[in-house]
Amino acid sequence: MTRYIIRRILQSIPLLLIISLILFVLLNSIGDPLAMMGGRNPTRPEDRARLARQLGLDKPVTTQYIYWLIGNDWTLIDVDGDGIPDTPGIRKGVLRGDFGTSIVTRGKPVIEIIWERVPNTLLLMIPAQIVILVLGLIVGTYSALRQYSWIDNAITTLSFVGFSMPIFLIALLSIYLFAVLFQRWGLPNLPANGMFDPQVGKTAGQVAKHMILPLFSIAFIDVARYSRYIRSAMLEVMSQDYIRTAKAKGLKRYYIIFIHALRNAFLPIVTLVGLDLPFLLAGAVVTERIFAWPGMGRLFLDHLQRADGPVVMGIVIILAVFVVLSQILTDITYAALDPRIRY
Amino acid sequence: MQKSKSIPLLIAIILILSLALAACQQAAPEPAPEESGEVVVPEEPVVEEPAAERKVATFIWTQEFDNLNPLYTNMWFSSITQQIWNASAWNFDIENNPNPVLVTEIPSLENGGISADGRTITIKLRDDIVWSDNTPITAEDFVFTYEMVTNPSNIVTTSYPYNLITAISTPDELTVVAEFEEAFVPWVANLWRFVLPKHVLQPVFDAEGTIDAAPWNLAPTVSAGPYVFAEWESGSYTRFVRNENYYNEPAKIDEIFFRFVPDDASQVAALRTGDGDLGTFISQADIPTLEAAGVEVFAVVSGYDEGWFIYFGEEAHPALSDVRVRQAIALCFDRPSINRDLLLGLTEPAVTYWDNTPYANPNLDAYPYDPAAGMALLDEAGWVDSNGDGIRDKDGVELTLIHGTTSREIRQDTQAVAQQNLAECGIQLDLLSYSADVYFQSYGGGGPLPTGELDIGQFSSTEAFPDPDTSRWLCNEIPTDEYPDGINDQKICDPELDELFRLQSTQIDFEERQQTIWHIGEIMYENVYWLGVWQDLDTWAVSARLTNVNISGADPFYSIAEWDIVQ
Repeated sequence: MTRYIIRRILQSIPLLLIISLILFVLLNSIGDPLAMMGGRNPTRPEDRARLARQLGLDKPVTTQYIYWLIGNDWTLIDVDGDGIPDTPGIRKGVLRGDFGTSIVTRGKPVIEIIWERVPNTLLLMIPAQIVILVLGLIVGTYSALRQYSWIDNAITTLSFVGFSMPIFLIALLSIYLFAVLFQRWGLPNLPANGMFDPQVGKTAGQVAKHMILPLFSIAFIDVARYSRYIRSAMLEVMSQDYIRTAKAKGLKRYYIIFIHALRNAFLPIVTLVGLDLPFLLAGAVVTERIFAWPGMGRLFLDHLQRADGPVVMGIVIILAVFVVLSQILTDITYAALDPRIRY
Repeated sequence: MQKSKSIPLLIAIILILSLALAACQQAAPEPAPEESGEVVVPEEPVVEEPAAERKVATFIWTQEFDNLNPLYTNMWFSSITQQIWNASAWNFDIENNPNPVLVTEIPSLENGGISADGRTITIKLRDDIVWSDNTPITAEDFVFTYEMVTNPSNIVTTSYPYNLITAISTPDELTVVAEFEEAFVPWVANLWRFVLPKHVLQPVFDAEGTIDAAPWNLAPTVSAGPYVFAEWESGSYTRFVRNENYYNEPAKIDEIFFRFVPDDASQVAALRTGDGDLGTFISQADIPTLEAAGVEVFAVVSGYDEGWFIYFGEEAHPALSDVRVRQAIALCFDRPSINRDLLLGLTEPAVTYWDNTPYANPNLDAYPYDPAAGMALLDEAGWVDSNGDGIRDKDGVELTLIHGTTSREIRQDTQAVAQQNLAECGIQLDLLSYSADVYFQSYGGGGPLPTGELDIGQFSSTEAFPDPDTSRWLCNEIPTDEYPDGINDQKICDPELDELFRLQSTQIDFEERQQTIWHIGEIMYENVYWLGVWQDLDTWAVSARLTNVNISGADPFYSIAEWDIVQ
């Protein structure tokens, strides 16, 4: 297993380099950070030329990529615009842990910008993932064990409703109902946005209260998705010979379900969880935006809109590393759940 | 079985830890910092009156500040906030007239602040102005500001107009003299709009050779406005507290929070539920809902006018080179109904690029909606429907124009109306929409209007409000492969217009300049170089809690110290 993990990590290095190159080129072609620097007015031509030079955006994309990857502290750059590179570069490059500084929030290190948001995203996404898993398991298993009952049919109908609703609709409806209408009706209403009320402070109670609506919006769709997979997997497992044997041996029903059936039905769910793991870090772009949750998804969107290459690249590369790691973790979990699997 | 029992416990632990993590990070905000260096002497206990409740206002911003140092941002949401915590030499009142703030009087020819040739601008500072840490604000701070803007080590957003200054001097510590190579007329809207604290930033510059990463940029704890920065929670809010050393009447509200709520619908929800006291860029569709919830909506003149920018480059549709076709477009486009129905009657069609300012030519009226007159002009120009397909044509070329704008909802609605209006006159309008960052790209960046992808672009613009100066229509601003950053996106080169635009930028006398710009407006109107669609007023939503609110278009928070809260 150890050799397998090392091999997978080594394989991921060229993969990440290729991903980073493709993303860098794509990002360079989707937007111009200088176009938005004039605020509500166009950027002045003389400022555009100067900024392009100072920020290194006048260089060919290959040179920009090399500077991003290995830094520019080994060469001289032209800061004053006299055409003579006479100032030593100061960037160390991603390979030496320097993700550069944001173009938008000038001078602030990318890693600092990202790190400010990571805890907020995890704070929302980990409980959301737990709620999704637990409710998905309960609903899916219950539905499978009572196949074609009216409860199963009701769950199936609700699942499809949840499945087919866009998250922004759920989010906006929940704000309207639980924040606006509840207040109008004199009921205790939930906060419409933010992570906490700044006038009260970031207390556990405040965060919990503000987390309810975004968590509900995320969970509503994903519980529907997970419950369908679990129902399907449980139905397949429950018709297997070993379950029939267990029943014939007179094992108690809950023992058959929880020890034999659910463990085996959980294998495909591990794949699903493995695929969803990166979203713990990536955040939920739409949900975070609507509920003004200061997480990674919103950070990504805010900086993508202004073509802030260093921050966007920083986020996607960290996510790419997380995707690779989560896939390795998924493989390890497979082996733990199914002793027949060997690497 | 042991494992299954532990799962709920594990979940509970994770949830508790998550909430604890949130709680540990920060407690409730602290009250305003006391700026006293005096030794506190214990006194006899006295019976104190109960402290008055702190007055706290919450403003909802749909964009988070990128930077607070004015050198490093042109973002509107950040720039207008400067008036809260920073100070400029002068600000603009509700009539958009300049009022002295840090100076004793507005420079003029009469008081000698402006030299006869318009090249020298002298400001006289008040002798009682101090930074929030009680350090006097002097001419040295202004010179330092100039030096930081123009120093190539600082990656500033714009160096204009300081890059035009040829010499700067300080005859005494309260006088700053800036000299320009040529007469610099639009100084009032561009010069000394902010000042940096030399005593805070000079040491940073000396140590690092740049102030790009100075902590002050994101946490300007020393400032010169009625409020002073207190904290910035990334992605959540920024808090400002009253500046106790403010040199004018102290602010009435104790604290101001700017909460960052990026979604428009969420912003409206926050205003309706009372979570926010003020918001801006309110969509017209949301105004009735907000007013029903007791939120007052103001429309403020900010110099912006939404218009159609007709393309004149080589790739332009041949019909657009004929002024009769352009006038026909103006007559066939029902702009009054756009303003009445889509914009709820809050606005009117813009007539000139300078509507609602003294530079708007009062002798011009908006083109009426008169499709019959428009069609007559098209017939006269030879554009007729010869093949019976419902679209006019000439010499085998169909009168099909490509119209492009951003994805903003009101613009999309306008496109749909315009398409229907022009179709009735036999003009087909093909519609395109873009995200703002793509749409506003320059020629070099492949922007759709300057590269000729569009025949007509639509957006809202002003350059130096409340000053009328613009270089948008100068011939030498036409972008080319050699000059890809030129801002004359329409590629219009009208020698007469070019000469007049250059003339106005040198006219110191207000009335002479006004006449020139009225003439410019007339030429642009008659030639339909630019067709105003609506006067793009800034909409502000203000809760009933806030009182004494006056908002100016150029400096929305110019009177923030006078704003109050009804508890």
